[in-house]
Amino acid sequence: MQISDEIFEDKVLKSERPVLVDFWASWCPPCKMMQPLVDRLHEELTGTAEIVSINIDQNPQTAAAYKITGVPTFVSFRNGQEVARKTGALTENQLRKMIDTASEQNQAA
Amino acid sequence: MSEPTACHNANQTCWSCPAVEFKGHVDFRACGQAAFRKAAEGQLVVECKRRPEIGYFDPTSITFEHCTEWKKTDSGYLLDGMRVLILGMDGYLGWPLALKLAKQGCKVYGIDNLLRRKLVADRGAQSVIPIETMENRVKAANEELGVDIDFREMDLLDRDALFAYIKEVQPESIVQFAEIPSAPYSMADVDKAVDTIQNNVVGTLGLLFGVRDHAPDASIIKLGTMGEYGSPLTGRPLFEGLFPGDAVLQYKGEEWSLGGELTPRDPVSFYHVSKVQGTFSVYEACKYWWLRSYDVMQGVIYGNHSDELSAHPSLATRFDIDEWWGTVVNRFVAQAVIGMPLTIYGSGNQLRGYITLKDAMQCITRLIAAPPEPGQYDVVNQVTDVMSVKQIAQTVATIGAEFGLDTEVQRIENPRVEAEEHPYEVIHDKLSENFGFTSESSFEDEVRGMFEVLTKPEAVARIKQQESKLFPTTKWSGETAKLKVLETWKPEIKDKAA
Repeated sequence: MQISDEIFEDKVLKSERPVLVDFWASWCPPCKMMQPLVDRLHEELTGTAEIVSINIDQNPQTAAAYKITGVPTFVSFRNGQEVARKTGALTENQLRKMIDTASEQNQAA
Repeated sequence: MSEPTACHNANQTCWSCPAVEFKGHVDFRACGQAAFRKAAEGQLVVECKRRPEIGYFDPTSITFEHCTEWKKTDSGYLLDGMRVLILGMDGYLGWPLALKLAKQGCKVYGIDNLLRRKLVADRGAQSVIPIETMENRVKAANEELGVDIDFREMDLLDRDALFAYIKEVQPESIVQFAEIPSAPYSMADVDKAVDTIQNNVVGTLGLLFGVRDHAPDASIIKLGTMGEYGSPLTGRPLFEGLFPGDAVLQYKGEEWSLGGELTPRDPVSFYHVSKVQGTFSVYEACKYWWLRSYDVMQGVIYGNHSDELSAHPSLATRFDIDEWWGTVVNRFVAQAVIGMPLTIYGSGNQLRGYITLKDAMQCITRLIAAPPEPGQYDVVNQVTDVMSVKQIAQTVATIGAEFGLDTEVQRIENPRVEAEEHPYEVIHDKLSENFGFTSESSFEDEVRGMFEVLTKPEAVARIKQQESKLFPTTKWSGETAKLKVLETWKPEIKDKAA
């Protein structure tokens, strides 16, 4: 699911669930090829976690606020706080692990 | 969610439209590291070059479906009067594409140095179907189809002339067909290998600088070949240029995503090497300069038919059948017509991807209609059927029988260095799934159509005149001894009534 600067706060920072944000760009082949996997996880985890994508060129404010220096960058959030980030394409296992870590953060809080 | 729509590109927006200009701080290089600096400039906006009165606006706010400049056609929405520059317009593919695009309302421009005509003549071969000069073709296109095509005789390597033309035309799409397309030609001797590399590699590289400086928003449709991938013996699928997002590399207990990395290339001749170099040049140009391109890995092409070509004999495209310039299916049909055995190299179990001329033209048109996003490099495998050379010979012999031809098949010593027994799994989903492509021709029908044309007396005569050029002589090893015949047989023709 694509989000934008305007709804980033509502969708990510104010979310009651753990969130994984995929920062991407149209000129980045790994980003484009990761999209179907990211979308599949979004569908599968609906109700448990939010998996969202944001285009850094179309949404420069968020990209700058989170100091994105390479794409794709995956950042996980819990209760509005950044939990973890990884830059570069990730495997499905690695993506799931990031979501799980953010979920565990929830229980600790 | 928007309603599903019949056109593959209905939901694309000004973000990918070549008719807009980005405004503000546009620096997408350095892998996103410019994002900090951009933020200060605010949101990215565009101005429409065709409708500047709208002012600056969000590039994702207008879809092709809702833009008055994009018109619905058989190939999806097409930018009205889109300026398309075809490099290599005189060729087997360049000319039918020019006609198709012009007929669909594009403004078509093209260059060619007429090298193919010269190289075929130098070989002592000729197009079986006679073709007009470019001057006469352009005139015929105007008279028969009512379209205007702008053609300039020009060498791709003449960069001053090329850049001036790009500047003048301001193309919105550029199709790079201006390459020497023969594997055996590139293996014949050092001069021909160097010519192939020089023309193809240097030509494409120069073009990219011209696009950067004079038409950076144009989409580049670069013609590559399935032969860039080779045929890996592991049976690894031949993905569409880039690994899919769920491809994983495992090594010593760790794992990494391969998603989006270029898949391995394993070219099979110096011609194919030139195509691989082209792939890397285009890939880099998209990365360095935010150019946008579809790199087309085309299967072996065959046939002589398209709706526009068939409109009048003077609109015909060239049809070569000799060892160097003819592709395998076209060559087999010509051999069958004059009673020469169909020459299979080695076992004949080599598997390759194939596509008809007509389908290929549809694919390219659909790619032009749905431009890549800024900086996007993507690859499509342009293939409809995977067949073995033996299967092709069998089908050609069978259809030849409908024309009263009694065809033999001959296995000869393989002049090439290639695997003769190998798996071959081609992924070719993008054109149908993302670009709305549906095949409009079948192998059998196209072969039948070729027999209809090639069995006419004037065509038979033109094949016979170059009979000595049909049997292969160019060995990858450089040796010149005549290739040995390994086996000759007559394929069983099943009686249709049975």
